Amino acid sequence: MRIGVFVCHCGSNIGGTVDCAEVARIAGTFPDVVYSTDPMYTCAEPGQAAIEEAIREHSLDGVVVASCSPRMHEPTFRRTVERAGLNPYMFEMANIREHVSWIGKDIPSNTRKAAELVEMAVEKLRKDTPLTPAEFPVTRRVLVIGGGVAGIQAALDCADGGIPVVMVEREATIGGKMAKLDKTFPTVDCSACILGPKMVDVAQHPNISLYAHAEIEDVQGYVGNFTVTIRKKTTYVDWSKCTGCGTCTEKCPARHSVDAFNEGIGETSAITIAFPQAIPKKAVINRDFCRQLTKGKCGVCAKVCPTGAIRYDMEDEIVTEKVGSIIAATGYDLMDWRVYSEYGAGRYPDIITSLQYERLMNASGPTGGHIVRPSDGREPKTVVFVQCVGSRDPSVGRPYCSGFCCMYTAKQAILTKDHIPDSHSYVFYMDIRAAGKMYDEFTRRAVEEYGTEYIRGRVSQIYPDGHGQLTVMGMDTLLGRPVVLKADLVVLAVGIEAARGAKELAEKLRISYDSAGFFLESHVKLRPVETNTAGVFLAGVCQGTKDIPASVAQGSAAASKVLTLFARETLKSNPQIAKTIPGRCVGCGKCARCCPYGAIRENVANGETTVEVIETMCQGCGLCTATCPQGAIQLAHATDNQILAEVNALCQA
Amino acid sequence: MSGLTQGERRELRIVGFLCNWCSYGGADTAGVARASQPTDLRIIRVPCSGRVDPLFVVKALLNGADGVLVSGCHPRDCHYGTGNFYARRRLEVLRRFLPVLGIDPKRFSYTWVSASEGQRWQTVVTRFTEEIHELGPAPRFMDAGPLEREIEQPASSPLHSLDSASLESLAALKQAIASRLPELDLVLGWQEGRDKAHLVPLFIRTPEDLDRLAIGPLAVHNLAVYLPELKGRKVGIVVKGCDGRSVVELLQEKLISREDVEIFAVACHGTFDTGRIDQALGRYQHLESVRMDGKELRITCDGRERHFSLENDSSTKCLHCKTPLSPLSDHSFGSAPSVGEGDSTPPDLARLDAMTLDERRAFWRSQMERCIRCYACRNACPLCVCRDHCISDTREPHFTTQESTAKEKFFFQIIHSLHLAGRCTGCGECQRSCPVGIPILALREHLIRVTDELFPEYRAGMTVDAAAPLLTYSVEEPHIQEREW
Repeated sequence: MRIGVFVCHCGSNIGGTVDCAEVARIAGTFPDVVYSTDPMYTCAEPGQAAIEEAIREHSLDGVVVASCSPRMHEPTFRRTVERAGLNPYMFEMANIREHVSWIGKDIPSNTRKAAELVEMAVEKLRKDTPLTPAEFPVTRRVLVIGGGVAGIQAALDCADGGIPVVMVEREATIGGKMAKLDKTFPTVDCSACILGPKMVDVAQHPNISLYAHAEIEDVQGYVGNFTVTIRKKTTYVDWSKCTGCGTCTEKCPARHSVDAFNEGIGETSAITIAFPQAIPKKAVINRDFCRQLTKGKCGVCAKVCPTGAIRYDMEDEIVTEKVGSIIAATGYDLMDWRVYSEYGAGRYPDIITSLQYERLMNASGPTGGHIVRPSDGREPKTVVFVQCVGSRDPSVGRPYCSGFCCMYTAKQAILTKDHIPDSHSYVFYMDIRAAGKMYDEFTRRAVEEYGTEYIRGRVSQIYPDGHGQLTVMGMDTLLGRPVVLKADLVVLAVGIEAARGAKELAEKLRISYDSAGFFLESHVKLRPVETNTAGVFLAGVCQGTKDIPASVAQGSAAASKVLTLFARETLKSNPQIAKTIPGRCVGCGKCARCCPYGAIRENVANGETTVEVIETMCQGCGLCTATCPQGAIQLAHATDNQILAEVNALCQA
Repeated sequence: MSGLTQGERRELRIVGFLCNWCSYGGADTAGVARASQPTDLRIIRVPCSGRVDPLFVVKALLNGADGVLVSGCHPRDCHYGTGNFYARRRLEVLRRFLPVLGIDPKRFSYTWVSASEGQRWQTVVTRFTEEIHELGPAPRFMDAGPLEREIEQPASSPLHSLDSASLESLAALKQAIASRLPELDLVLGWQEGRDKAHLVPLFIRTPEDLDRLAIGPLAVHNLAVYLPELKGRKVGIVVKGCDGRSVVELLQEKLISREDVEIFAVACHGTFDTGRIDQALGRYQHLESVRMDGKELRITCDGRERHFSLENDSSTKCLHCKTPLSPLSDHSFGSAPSVGEGDSTPPDLARLDAMTLDERRAFWRSQMERCIRCYACRNACPLCVCRDHCISDTREPHFTTQESTAKEKFFFQIIHSLHLAGRCTGCGECQRSCPVGIPILALREHLIRVTDELFPEYRAGMTVDAAAPLLTYSVEEPHIQEREW
């Protein structure tokens, strides 16, 4: 073999604490290494060109690059060597930046370590074999999980691109959190007016089939060929007959049902249509409150329904769909702010969340858009907003910033003044984070034009003063003095967390999630839409906090990833998969038993069992290789001999 | 490395196996955060912690690694779904296996670090490196001196009575085999070998063959070893309790089919340690008689009578036997003795338990120097089903070298033992067949003890449709206490 070694300086990133020239010199002494050098920036265009040139000039048939993490640039350099005519898998990396130069300052130790990492890479490369991906057909359909604005955008873009879309929404209507908002910052546009048409587009698009009031039960398969099981939760209403006329909701006698769409502000009937612009505009019975379902007598809705759509005996229905790609757009939920005893832990009706406040301000909300106190229906004159309730607070396990609360609090303060001109608003804040287009100007407007009083500091206690108002005690840290305010209404900007059920869904999709439940992107900077499971993409807040324009942008980005994926008739599978060595297999099937993907098929012929790896299903974990006692199934590019070669390079006593 | 000055503290050799998706990413994250770490660790990137064959770890530890660290995704977070669940079981078995080899288990650790946990990675590396430095350089196996202290083999009393009661069933057994023989291709049993004191396997194909059938405490061979080779033929097999468990294990591993095997179970009241008898008899010209008299075996040769008793001269495996009758049978003969409660530690294992780590290394070194690498242990093992594909013989994969050193021979014993983890029924054929009498069964017995601790609900070779503990997992492992960092 003829191996070339390139020890990258990465400017001073590596060169500062590793003697790269010395590493290259030592590398030159390793077996089969015929060329070694230490370029300044290997990943830059001249650096890559130098590799290509060296491959040609020195007839290299394998390349080692010692530089940053292979998680960063392995694909880059594989393409480089491929351009020069090598098989892309005749390439290994030694990570001498993240694992060496950045974590230690001692140059001799670092240099020694770097040289050993190069030695390991060379030894592994010497046992590499060229790999060729297999091609397999793609189901050109996409599943979008979640019908909030991110999911809607992703679905519409895919559908417009000619891809059939299956959208699954847990609630009875799409629209997500944005549908609950009154206005949006910084333009103070009516939220429903900008979202509504998109929702209608989803309903009417010939390429979109919508499952509302449904959840993902199971996901099997792999990129290009997923089989998704969907549970259509029972609605007790035959949606093929329901016209959304609303007669049932008017006549339903169970008027004291929790109004989930309105965030528990006000009450509703047991059979409901979430809001006037709901998509689909279909009725759903809340079985916890329905008298027919709880007590067995009532049946009013069935009597009044003009199309006979009510079906009390309806049960969940399971459907399966085949798709080639999945976009997760499951959004967020508010954290349970009642952990804060200083804010009354939910005991006082006039301390509400910002999302409840949106419903109070909304013309289609429970009060018809009149801002009133939930306790007595009086119009509040003094409104105190408290920011960062459950954001940037490690003591409740939420160290992160929820991202958009500063902006909507400013918006709500402005709207409060619009609704009640003689009102006065206070905002307790930690920092104002208004880093967006027209955002800072907007918060300034809240202060300068609307007279909102911003107080930098935290609120320590809120309690009823016994005369119908709330006493808000806080600290003004700029003036360094305590603040005590009398408020008619307190609005908490409650921090967000991943939507409930996000972790369970992540398990089904086999994608990673962080400690707060947000889904992990493939690379923080360079692959923000992809996940580590091929064919599964992310859109919106499920990946991390973001506001509406960012959610829409990521929805479009995810759609573009799907369209890119589907631009090809076939997909290439990762060739780093397990392969059986037929002569060695004794047919015990231990590998098949452990395989997480069911990718190993047992074939019985003439009483002899043999196993076979299904190329498209194998994901290359190598569990089978570690399981097989006789080494009869080997993971390409991480064979026993390759790992042993690395061990042997390190341990030679 | 040549020409380079060394840091103030001599570096030790620490090898890390990190899964690509979580821990390798976590190490990257630590690097990006410039989280300073000791420089001893060298990282091998693997796709999944489930890819880490415990033999890689042993290979490193036997060949000069002072410490080995495996890190994967947190349980439930595996990129591949379940790889780390399997890894957890296998690596925990390995961790508990190391002490019997004379390797300090503190030199091996496994943990979980996610891609975002750069700080945790820094803590893990720093702590583990410190711990290894506290232990100092690992003593090399080949530097182990002779065992300086005589360690008494502790006395051990059997869990059930040992006697020759099994002999009484012979007539009934012969009758049963005779009636089934026409439908079977052959029946495996025992017969007199070179003389009455030595029984050997018998392949019964005809009624005349059947006449030669012998059973009793000298019928030591585990005939299950022949079954995989006979797959596809209708085979009857006479089994003692321990042999029956091997048959069950083979059935569980689908290496034989239930419909092809007819099991004639004989209640076993103990077998003799034939090596011990041979040693006592020494060389003789003529064997006059062999008589079983209750618990006593009287052998007369060259005019001298010698007495052996199952109390004193049984195979050590019989002392802690809990299955005198096969758990699975089509016909059964004789009445099994009642089994006492509790566990007893096999004597060879108890002797190892009494040693320090250094002494165990010295013990194995001296024992392995005697090994002639004949692989009789492997060939006699009914569960060594790789046959011609044993990884100790191949270059693909190339786990062991052909160098005839105690270390390589010891590594083979470790391969054999780890391949038996969760499968070994403790039949003891490996040790019985060893021509130089190395107590290698103790390694397997220790692993049985480890798997009993970790998976108390499971015993190898008892149920055909059970899942072997290392081929399955639980999301929560009640018996695995993972270390805190």
